[in-house]
Amino acid sequence: MKTFWVRAVNLVLIVALLIGYNTVLTLRDKDDQIAKLTADLESANLYKQSVMQSQEDAAGGSYEDGIWKGEAQGFGGAIQVEVTVEGGSITDISIVSAEKEDGAYLSMAEDIIPTIIDAQSADVDTISGATFSSTGIKNAVAQALEEAAK
Amino acid sequence: MSKIDIHHLTKKQRKQMHGWLRAIIQLLYFLFLPSAYTAAFAGVKYIFTQLGAGEKIGLTSFVSVLIVLCLYTIVFGRFFCGFACAFGSFGDAVHFVYVWICKKIKKKPVKLPETVTSKLSMVKYVVLAVIVLLCFKGVYSQTQGYSPWDVFSMMHAFNFKLGGYLLGVVLLVLIMVGMAVQERFFCRFLCPMGAVFSLLPMLPFFTLKREREQCIKGCSACTKQCPSDIGLPEAGSLDVSGDCFQCQKCIDTCPRMNIHCGLPGLKGNEVVLTIIRALILLGLFIWLGI
Repeated sequence: MKTFWVRAVNLVLIVALLIGYNTVLTLRDKDDQIAKLTADLESANLYKQSVMQSQEDAAGGSYEDGIWKGEAQGFGGAIQVEVTVEGGSITDISIVSAEKEDGAYLSMAEDIIPTIIDAQSADVDTISGATFSSTGIKNAVAQALEEAAK
Repeated sequence: MSKIDIHHLTKKQRKQMHGWLRAIIQLLYFLFLPSAYTAAFAGVKYIFTQLGAGEKIGLTSFVSVLIVLCLYTIVFGRFFCGFACAFGSFGDAVHFVYVWICKKIKKKPVKLPETVTSKLSMVKYVVLAVIVLLCFKGVYSQTQGYSPWDVFSMMHAFNFKLGGYLLGVVLLVLIMVGMAVQERFFCRFLCPMGAVFSLLPMLPFFTLKREREQCIKGCSACTKQCPSDIGLPEAGSLDVSGDCFQCQKCIDTCPRMNIHCGLPGLKGNEVVLTIIRALILLGLFIWLGI
């Protein structure tokens, strides 16, 4: 009789602790964001300049416009991706097929896509826990970018 | 086609039918949904990695699988372990083959003594603690190639590029030896996900109990049949047998039909009930997109 309630209380405590932990971090994130936005505002002009600069860079950019295909080995089989390049930079990456990957792993691995777009390169860290699938996406994008390279 | 009347089967027939049903469900889950156990445990690893790094815990697909499987286990007992876990089913198959071979060559199967098994049951908590600590310290990724689960999943996916997985392969072979000798060897002694499940407060709907007063004196048929050597708790109590995998073999083994689940009027191994539980789990997996 006792064990059940001890276990139940423990479980509730663990869940409460994790939710508390997350809430604290969310509040901190918000503070950080406010600070960052203020800083951004102050250096608005500078920021604008740098954006324009980087756009010029991109226009002269490293990749040729178009939709490029790439394929690489994931966990259980091949992963095919399509990389969209506009104005010399990567604007979109979509997974065309990844039939042999497990759903939970693939959706974890897809987190690598925004990282690649931000970095404008396939040379980024893989997603821990979904190493195989994210490496597959990464290599497939790298293959597509090789073709897109001027 | 002759219709089998499932209400008038002999005891042996009923036992065989339940055994076949379990084997079929296990095979289907093994073939089509083999990754749930690693995904759920990846959720545990992810949570502790984030905690160690001071990062926020997102509701990633791994965490969702973990939460759903834990909730399912709280309501239905460790049905997932007994019927749907690919690694558990793999162990059952290895054990079945070993016992079958022993029968053919007329040798008595080796068995581990109960004093040893009860101590070994604690090892899974050590395994869980070590993995969780490595994640918390942020060094778990350096152990790539050590996990027998990775090797098993790769082979299941027909991915045989096992270079760098030597330790994992060796561990898997050793575990297979253990699986042969002791039913549910891995689940009971080593499984870190099983360690999590075994600590959950399972609700008294599907957990198995026995009418202790009606037991034959000195009979321990259920405990002998049980892969975890469980002496079932008294009916009506809230006691939790954390190591019960819901294999349900004890129900048909009891000479007095003394064993039943917490739902009124039900034994717990009725064919329809088992199929419903399996379908609910399937529905949850589809919903999660595993």
